[in-house]
Amino acid sequence: MIRFGLRLTLRGGREAAARLIVICAAVAIGVALLLSTLAGLNAMHTQNARFGWLETGAQGVSESHRPVPGSDPEWWLLSADEYAGTQIGRVDVAATGARSPIPPGLPRLPSAGEYYASPALAALLRTLPNAELAARYPGHLVATIGDAGLPSPDSLIVVVGRSVADLSAQPRATEITEISTTSPSGCNGPCYDIGFNARSIDLILSVVSAAILFPVLIFIGAATRLSAARRDQRFAAMRLVGATPRQIALIAAVESTLAAFIGVLLGFGLFAAFQPLIARVPFTGTRFFAHDMALSMPDVLAVALGVPIAAAVAARFALRRVIVSPLGVSRRVTPQPPSAWRVLPVVAGIAELAYFVAQGRPATTDGQIMAFLPGILITMSGLVFAGPWLTMIGSRALAVRARRPAALIAARRLSDNPQAGFRAISGLVLSLFVASVAFGIILSFDAHRGGSTSYSPAEQATIVDDLIVFADRGPTAPVRALPAGLAGTLHAIAGVRAVTPLHAGPEFGVMPATTGPPPVGAADPFSVLVECADLVGATALGSCAPGAATAAVADPSFAQLQGPSGAVWQAAPESPGSVAALPLATLVVTTDGTRHAVEQVRTLLAQRMPSRDGFAPLTIAEDRAQSADTKRSQGYERLADVVILTSLPIAGCTLAVSVVAGLNDRRRPFGLLRLSGTPLTVLRRVVALEAAVPLLVSAVVSIAVGFLTAYLFLRAQMSETLVPPGIGYYATVVAGLVASLAIIASTMPLLDRTTATETTRTD
Amino acid sequence: MTPLIEADELSFRFGETPALRGASLAVQAGEILAVMGPSGSGKSTLLHCLAGILVPDDGTVHFAGRRIDSLPDAERSALRRGRFGFVFQFGQLVPELSAEENVALPLLLGGMSRRDAIDRARRWFGRLGLDGLERRRSGELSGGQSQRVALARGLVTEPEVLFADEPTGALDSLTGEQVMELLTASAREHGTTVVLVTHEPRVAAYADREVIVRDGRVTTLSPAAAASAS
Repeated sequence: MIRFGLRLTLRGGREAAARLIVICAAVAIGVALLLSTLAGLNAMHTQNARFGWLETGAQGVSESHRPVPGSDPEWWLLSADEYAGTQIGRVDVAATGARSPIPPGLPRLPSAGEYYASPALAALLRTLPNAELAARYPGHLVATIGDAGLPSPDSLIVVVGRSVADLSAQPRATEITEISTTSPSGCNGPCYDIGFNARSIDLILSVVSAAILFPVLIFIGAATRLSAARRDQRFAAMRLVGATPRQIALIAAVESTLAAFIGVLLGFGLFAAFQPLIARVPFTGTRFFAHDMALSMPDVLAVALGVPIAAAVAARFALRRVIVSPLGVSRRVTPQPPSAWRVLPVVAGIAELAYFVAQGRPATTDGQIMAFLPGILITMSGLVFAGPWLTMIGSRALAVRARRPAALIAARRLSDNPQAGFRAISGLVLSLFVASVAFGIILSFDAHRGGSTSYSPAEQATIVDDLIVFADRGPTAPVRALPAGLAGTLHAIAGVRAVTPLHAGPEFGVMPATTGPPPVGAADPFSVLVECADLVGATALGSCAPGAATAAVADPSFAQLQGPSGAVWQAAPESPGSVAALPLATLVVTTDGTRHAVEQVRTLLAQRMPSRDGFAPLTIAEDRAQSADTKRSQGYERLADVVILTSLPIAGCTLAVSVVAGLNDRRRPFGLLRLSGTPLTVLRRVVALEAAVPLLVSAVVSIAVGFLTAYLFLRAQMSETLVPPGIGYYATVVAGLVASLAIIASTMPLLDRTTATETTRTD
Repeated sequence: MTPLIEADELSFRFGETPALRGASLAVQAGEILAVMGPSGSGKSTLLHCLAGILVPDDGTVHFAGRRIDSLPDAERSALRRGRFGFVFQFGQLVPELSAEENVALPLLLGGMSRRDAIDRARRWFGRLGLDGLERRRSGELSGGQSQRVALARGLVTEPEVLFADEPTGALDSLTGEQVMELLTASAREHGTTVVLVTHEPRVAAYADREVIVRDGRVTTLSPAAAASAS
């Protein structure tokens, strides 16, 4: 019987061949998407693991400081450099012996006067003037860092060789014995803010699994059900000549499994063909190496075996709902209409989030994630669960009000099997929910912080170099004065408008002993003293009152400066001489905002005043862009983008396959209707309404639930309210809906063909 | 008397295969005409040409004195929707609609309000012995019941011509006879012209006149031959 089933599938004539090709193609696309998702998750882990060596020296990794027999210690200093808004990872190293550990991607440790750079950084070094970048790194470039030491082909990393005497004198340098291999997600304690930590990985896995894998599996399921009705007719004919129901089930399973198996093979081929292209999409903010988009053996086995097995089980399950008799197939088992209790999971998810609004958020970050993530995931899954019920409600309402035949037929079909109607658009519903939650949270968050996406010219032109490093008990290691001639050299750079040293008074950084608001008249612990002559041209800082020689101003390292400051600072009692004698807190260099000016200033400062806190001097705009809040906001935004960009095409494919399957199933009644004079436009309207009604009903609900979820999250987590989304959100939603309608429209030629009067048989 | 439908020298090919080769036929108003012939003789193709479903490669078709084979598709569709009715062998009901909605469908397509269309559709249920089945879907009807619903749908617009292609082909003989009795009785009651394609002499016996299609041509039976065929 299996051989017979195979023969029927492969040599069953043109129609069987066409059906096989369509199912195989659809399964292939689904499998390729599934493999891309799995490979993308693997690539994220691999990329994260390659950040591991940059955690060397962090307290949270077990390596670095333990004694390693046969290894010579090594001096190590990690800092964050910057070029044109992009961070450069800089590691200064000094070997104490021949057996000092070597970071991955390097053939040996650079000697003093040498450095290795990543290919992307090496390309910048080749093309930019030395004064803008290369002069920051002492010595010369010896070679590029290999892939093993690079998280991404675009990574900007430099490993600078120093002498032991030189590097060991640096305040933050540490002596290490081993290069860390601990991924940022495996950190067990304080680590540098690099890559993804374990919480981010959990968040990404949960959201991706629910919002991408689920639609992919729905799509594959829809693909294997294509042409079910036409197949049923063949089964009836077999029953007529004596085939038993068991034999029919076996043949159906063989047919589905074979199509799925061929589709899986093609899907692997598709994935291999597009793997380099998919790797270029910056899902994590930077692109992957093509070889990182790899599949593990369990992935391969799960897909290669799982999809055909699932197809066989689905075929068997599908036949349980029909009775194949010798006189035809009748769907005696009408699906039970979905009941209202299907909305319970959504309500439960929202109630869980609301509980934390009332009770307050948990104290720890882990506790907060444990509190909010399940609520959001339950709400998201609940939407999919409630979808068929919503579809049924919508279709019943449409049926009652339907005045035109197209609306009546569409409504009746949807209420007949709302599960199938919703299945076609479930992926889109998930995309809309994720987009609404993400946009709701991100945009509200940004709005409450004053916006994060645009920066004023003053913010982009003002470079702030922190010269005081705060330890637990206040500022340490004061800088007494600028190096001789530095101010003049800075002024000589084209585009530099002001060089403003800010001095720390005796009370700087000393927090009041009492808690609560500071008493009236108390000194601001973060105000600094400035000579008014230096403030001229420093637009972001403000200006002195007329006649003032010195003033106390807000330190830009702590104040939120967002544009040209209109502040007029009153005169301070200190004389210019006494202010100049105070230690430096911050150096502010105001430029014209051009890249040349900013990078030359940064390069000069790196040469003359090496970073004391491990961070290169940044413009106010760069500093804001790199703040933890902004990075978290960008992370959420990127995750939302990944989900939306990935799930929308999958959802579109599911919609197309479902519409095509619906057309194939009703080829005869639709063909005969058209033959009897029903205008094609009526049939087109039926097809469009069948997809559009559940899409619009569920879209409204998922957007509303998405915003409610975002609101509850904002209230509970940040005590903030939801800010209505802007044009970007609406553009995404409208684009998604228009794309869906375009997909439906793209199936219309098939409707024209399958119902053509020339091809419809009446006997 | 001028025939209601007149086909003259119709030719039609499916690719390389000729289906009609100079078929000519005239149908009088109110007549019930049976078109008989073996499988593949071209009888369904002839019906499709007469109903404006197919456009013949050669020859002309006139309906009520108006040439219809040269009309644009939209006008032929309107003609089929408004002045013709159809009954086919099987699978013509929209499975998701109830029986009464299926019957009302041509009226809705014609722009009638839903309430009026359903009211008018229900009148046919009693006439065709379908009382109590108004709310059932096609999957809940027997073959004979489905075919009677299809007949009601074909007649509900009170068409001038009812085209029936093997209307009893999927039914057992007893049910087939019941359907034919209802079809012919309703047609006679409303003066509807019927063009009935069948290969069964017992079905053809319900007609006023029979013609044979053989190798794409129409042959009118002599009364003796017709009696013998019956």
